[in-house]
Amino acid sequence: MASDKPSWGMQGTWEQALSYVGKVVGVSQGADAVDASSVRRWLEPKEFACPLYTDEQAAIDAGYEGKIAPSTMAITYGQPAHWQSGDKRFEHGDEPIQIPIPVIFDVPAPFSLSFATSMEMEFFKPLYHGDVVTITHELVSLVEKELRVGKGAFFKQKDTYRNQNDEIVAVGILDIFRFNPVSKGEG
Amino acid sequence: MTDNTNQTIDWSLQKTMQDITIGEELSPIYIDVTLQRLVMEAAANRDLSLIHHDASMAKATGANDAYANTFFLYGMIERLALEWGGVKTFIRKIGPLRMLSFNCTGDKLAFHGKVSEIIKDEDTVILDVWVDNAGKVSATSQVKVILPKQ
Repeated sequence: MASDKPSWGMQGTWEQALSYVGKVVGVSQGADAVDASSVRRWLEPKEFACPLYTDEQAAIDAGYEGKIAPSTMAITYGQPAHWQSGDKRFEHGDEPIQIPIPVIFDVPAPFSLSFATSMEMEFFKPLYHGDVVTITHELVSLVEKELRVGKGAFFKQKDTYRNQNDEIVAVGILDIFRFNPVSKGEG
Repeated sequence: MTDNTNQTIDWSLQKTMQDITIGEELSPIYIDVTLQRLVMEAAANRDLSLIHHDASMAKATGANDAYANTFFLYGMIERLALEWGGVKTFIRKIGPLRMLSFNCTGDKLAFHGKVSEIIKDEDTVILDVWVDNAGKVSATSQVKVILPKQ
């Protein structure tokens, strides 16, 4: 049952969380290949009109093999489907669908909330139309910390993005702070 | 000062390593965070978390309203760098992107950048990027781009 106070992530002990450090905690198989429609819908809210993404000849003239997708769309193309045949019906009261970030949702820890504090991505190969992206998620480190919002820990997740030829497209590092919020009257 | 015109970019222009000077500022991009934009963004980038389009859920996490997600900022930074450099600009790295405060529905953002470092041997330029939200910096990042030699 959803509430007006969000709470997410697998619950567990600190020791359980530590046991995941240095391990692959998830693999995300992108649901769809890069295509013109998904690129266009991504460009629209950013009012971004670059011919590399829409004009085959312009992309070739710029040195590419054909139309590409924006590099930062790797994040979108690596996401799995949010529903597929055989899954349960969506119903009132369901937990909302969240973007799959395995260090939040699949690593057990004694914290109820989380937010991202920092992210960096390196890009190695362009995303071409037809490419399919898979992401391997690894928990790199855990560092305990108390912030103004409450006590918790920084979870560092390394994401390696590969295309269908097993070539590394991008590598991302995401810092997530998972914590228990300070209660009213506390802190 | 803001500019709400939809500026047409001349994509025939291309920066090269010979053109760049430290301190050069990029043309800023002005963009309003409307709920419509957040909904379009969530549908397109597949980050469907309610905090990015549902005010009550966003408020429960401490924000004033629904707010733009990390991937929107990433995409806008890619736009900023490409519009500045041209189509032969390869984005090698974005980050670390630091989110300092929420960018909520109703906010007016300006994406700024300037050249902070030139690495000639590697045909690489480092840009410092920041997001201005009503006079306050809401996010900062560095961007490493590779440009043609000439």
